[in-house]
Amino acid sequence: MLSVTRVGLRQIQPSSFARAGLFARSLTTIPQPPGGVTGNVNEAYVPPKPLKSHGSFHWTSERIVAVGLLPLVGSSFAGTSSTIIDTTLAAFMLYHVHSGFQSCIIDYIPLRVYGSFHKICMYLLTFGTGVAGYGVYEIEQKEEGGLAGVVSRIFKA
Amino acid sequence: MLKSLLRPSLSPLRRTLATAALPRVKQFQIYRWNPDTPEVAPKLQTYDVDLNACGPMVLDALLKIKNEQDSTLTFRRSCREGICGSCAMNIGGVNTLACLCRIDNNTSKSTKIYPLPHMYIVRDLVPDLTHFYQQYKSIQPYLQRDDHPADGRENLQSIEDRAKLDGLYECILCACCSTSCPSYWWNQEQYLGPAVLMQAYRWLIDSRDQAGKIRKEMLQNSMSLYRCHTIMNCSRTCPKGLNPGLAIAEIKKQLAFD
Repeated sequence: MLSVTRVGLRQIQPSSFARAGLFARSLTTIPQPPGGVTGNVNEAYVPPKPLKSHGSFHWTSERIVAVGLLPLVGSSFAGTSSTIIDTTLAAFMLYHVHSGFQSCIIDYIPLRVYGSFHKICMYLLTFGTGVAGYGVYEIEQKEEGGLAGVVSRIFKA
Repeated sequence: MLKSLLRPSLSPLRRTLATAALPRVKQFQIYRWNPDTPEVAPKLQTYDVDLNACGPMVLDALLKIKNEQDSTLTFRRSCREGICGSCAMNIGGVNTLACLCRIDNNTSKSTKIYPLPHMYIVRDLVPDLTHFYQQYKSIQPYLQRDDHPADGRENLQSIEDRAKLDGLYECILCACCSTSCPSYWWNQEQYLGPAVLMQAYRWLIDSRDQAGKIRKEMLQNSMSLYRCHTIMNCSRTCPKGLNPGLAIAEIKKQLAFD
């Protein structure tokens, strides 16, 4: 009994099998400590290991890209687009969307609770960004006017 | 004996209303849950309170209910003047201190009182703040120095440096802001939350403190600080009128090119 309830092992709930069938079996979560409290009441919370690429560097690059997007989008709307500006816009947009989805995954599918599902989602996101990146490359290579050209043509159509 | 003789003669002097005051009965719906009967689901229990015979604050009504109607109603309270932070609860959908929250005089509407949202509940209106205090402990909320003044006396601070701590040191750790934050609801096991982060900032900018490097380093991960998405519920709800959202933004600014 103890080994089943111990943190880190998959919790199996028979009632959820009955209700949701196979899908529930594949969505088991990691059991959390009772009351969200680890250790005794006088122990301090232990933060994750410091890693600047997940901390300040990540945040700063997010902000630089977000602020950088403003003039890029503006200039594209004004029609003063060049290949370099358009490629930068597409790349910044891709990173911006990627980090946004990354945030959603960390918030809603946390590693602490969902374990390997969190990692699968992150891999899927990276894969999706890769595919989108290839798409951006194709657009910049083949379409006239690049990304801005495609968008304006969709609006006119 | 003497008093009872005097009382009839005094009664004409006593100040009375021209018309007898009609009772203003206000309904309070209060969250109830008892750990001794875990099979009974939590429910809202309704209490009627005559506002004419009750103090102006929600805490007065709660105490009146506990004294006169239902002694099993459980809540924390201590100072009744907004300095201890014990009576933090969700009143009418807003996290605040019961002792600083006026009763809504509109008797046609009931007031709903819940414990702080998204916390483990000990009983009725009492949330379990153990993890909150563990998080507070983790930021090492005390002065840390490598060297000490040569004269062996206190660490001095200029008036300007002291003024930087205004709006930060007043926090009473009632947990209203943290428990109003959706990010804290989702990831409170790892995200420190506005209350604790504001204290982290308070110690970061204290001119007397010399442990800034360690203090900054512990926030360098995706969870502790950067789960803040500037939703700003914290600043909106703070019963002391402080601005934890600004403090978190200042930490991010300090860390940005760190």
